[in-house]
Amino acid sequence: MTDLRNARVSRAQFFRMMGGLAAAAVATTACSTRPQTTTTTTGGQSATELKFVGVSDQKAPMDAVLAGYQQAKPSVRLTPSYAPTDQVQTSLRTQLGAGNAPDLHVVYPGNGSAMSMSQIAGAGLLADLSAQAWAATIPTGFKPAFQLDGKTYMYSAGSSVIGAVYNKKVFEKAGVEQPPTTWSEFLALCGKLKKAGVVPIALGAQTPWVTQLITYALVPSTVYAKDPTFDDKQLAGQASFADSGWRQAMEMYLELQKRGFFNDNPNGTTFEQQTSMVATGKAAMAIQVSAVLPDFRKAASSPDDLSMFPLPGADDAASVWIPAGVVVGLGVNAKGKNVEEAKAFVDFLGKQENINAWAKAISAIPLTQDAGSTIDPAVESFLPFTKDRAVPFMDQRWPNAEVQPVHFAVVQELLSGKATVDEALKKMDEAYRK
Amino acid sequence: MTHLTVDKPPRSRPAPAARPGGLRRFSASSPSWLFAAPALLVYAAVVLYPAAAGVVYAFTDWSGIGQDMSFVGAANFLALLDDEQAMGSIGNTLLLTLAIVAVQNGVGLLLALGVHARLRSRAVLRVVFFSPVVVSPVMVAFLWKYVYNPDPSAGLNGLLGLRIDWLGDPSVALWSIAGMVVWQYAGYSMVIFLAGLEGVPKELHEAAMIDGAGTFQRFRYVTWPMLAPAVTINLMLSTIGGLKLFDQVFAATNGGPGYATETLSTVLYKQAFVFGKFGYSTAIALVLALFVAAVSLVQISYLRSREVAS
Repeated sequence: MTDLRNARVSRAQFFRMMGGLAAAAVATTACSTRPQTTTTTTGGQSATELKFVGVSDQKAPMDAVLAGYQQAKPSVRLTPSYAPTDQVQTSLRTQLGAGNAPDLHVVYPGNGSAMSMSQIAGAGLLADLSAQAWAATIPTGFKPAFQLDGKTYMYSAGSSVIGAVYNKKVFEKAGVEQPPTTWSEFLALCGKLKKAGVVPIALGAQTPWVTQLITYALVPSTVYAKDPTFDDKQLAGQASFADSGWRQAMEMYLELQKRGFFNDNPNGTTFEQQTSMVATGKAAMAIQVSAVLPDFRKAASSPDDLSMFPLPGADDAASVWIPAGVVVGLGVNAKGKNVEEAKAFVDFLGKQENINAWAKAISAIPLTQDAGSTIDPAVESFLPFTKDRAVPFMDQRWPNAEVQPVHFAVVQELLSGKATVDEALKKMDEAYRK
Repeated sequence: MTHLTVDKPPRSRPAPAARPGGLRRFSASSPSWLFAAPALLVYAAVVLYPAAAGVVYAFTDWSGIGQDMSFVGAANFLALLDDEQAMGSIGNTLLLTLAIVAVQNGVGLLLALGVHARLRSRAVLRVVFFSPVVVSPVMVAFLWKYVYNPDPSAGLNGLLGLRIDWLGDPSVALWSIAGMVVWQYAGYSMVIFLAGLEGVPKELHEAAMIDGAGTFQRFRYVTWPMLAPAVTINLMLSTIGGLKLFDQVFAATNGGPGYATETLSTVLYKQAFVFGKFGYSTAIALVLALFVAAVSLVQISYLRSREVAS
């Protein structure tokens, strides 16, 4: 400090310093305005550089297909980068707004979030992929997730399910033989596990997106099994959260809490803690989406310790429905510099072997299947449902990006006793109508 | 922090000897505005222009992407009055600011008095108390998520034998966030108070001692009035910091549980990047900026008058 106090700078030194700073500033600006895509010439051969920005969950599957792509197309280099959901939504929306978005980027299926297919395609920022061969094979039930006004704007390798991820060793120790098939059996199972001294269900509700999974797992049985056209009616203003099976689902959610089947302080517990509780056997189950099974397996001493079963949301096994949603996908920036090369990459992803590889890396059910398709044994118990007793994740048909965050917040309020089911559903209805 | 000491050379220092062609002649006449032009130009391009453009967006319904945008007049500002979540966040922001301003400066002052004393370890202690300031606020929030682990055997609960759900209980979460902000920035207030303390002439203390003043009286009638400029700076900086608090809340609770820790900054972030309502978000940002400016002006004019009086 004293050195600084006595320091004197001559005018010449001062100008030299300022000149250096100015040069540095110019250099930084020059770097930052460098276009996202460049075409460089290497050894007389033109190489195209494609940029992909994805969500962290997409790293494993992208790694699985990228080597094959570089081999098939040595003239194109694809540079991927990844960030967690919140960050990727923020940075991509900013880049899309500023007109410097990457050639390929993550897109969420259907509608209902700021980076969802409907919102981005609606703004004219996604290239039309309808002409590609794989786009013709999208199952009818999944079309709303991929298409806006009949045109395909997103690629996704398949679907994932929401259900109970459970630790087989803990079940064995507590003497549980069969996964439950009805709600009463499920409650009995939780009671049995609790008596055995383990937390029946780990819940990491401090992580916002985790809050929604139990309602999502129950609503197919309490709402859609009774009325498969609920979404259409709600969009037409003829149905609401408050006057539907959503009420029952919320009450069932809270019943689990009232009976002490969750860990203490779910609102203070994160997804990572939830994962480790189940993986290490401190808790028996977590209601989760199958796409994060790899996370549970990584945290467990042996990956075979973990499996899944559908959460039965009804007392009649035949009226149990499950949520099966298209997994997060990617789209081509319509305003990018290399639209055709980027589309060609998506076409490559659409080949059956690549659909298989991508789906395998995230334990998803492949969009289309052939002899080479593998289905994770953990989700096999869901397959009987996928044909006619499955509905997409609820937010994919919600009309705006506000309903989902409101759902997160009201679940936290319900868990902390700060709101009633009535108030919670009212807030969701208000957000839906915005 | 160096500017605090650089700005205030000891009063007893003799004027620097004139150096031929040196700095003295350079500063003798006030420099032309032209010298500032390059800096002003950069400032205008990266601060003034975006801010002015932002004001325009506040009167539109722009989604943040695409070209669709129409002027909606004052609709965004009227919507703000009806927005339960935004209004609730104003209450949270004010409570947080009050708590942070009071505790951070109180603790900062105590620390400054402590390390101003003739302790052997004071140099080390100054570094220790100041060190959290240099850590990124997001990192601090992540670290404190471990400290605030609700498990009775972990973190702060384990240390104090408590069973508090620090970040998960809506009635506690806001104060938990205030706690980690105070932990991080008390050292910052300390350094500013310390600079003020160093400026209190020894002679005054000696005179007061001869007059028979005790430790408390010397603090009340000598140190405290002389600290007025440091108090002004500290109160202003912590108020502004509290009103625009974002990083710590975003990383620790993301505004939850429910809406319990939502601040104006997190609400405007969500409106822009989660809900895709850039126009509305800009309107909130504008209100926040005006509010911060108004509070700071009132505060500084009051505190400055107090400095003159003392």
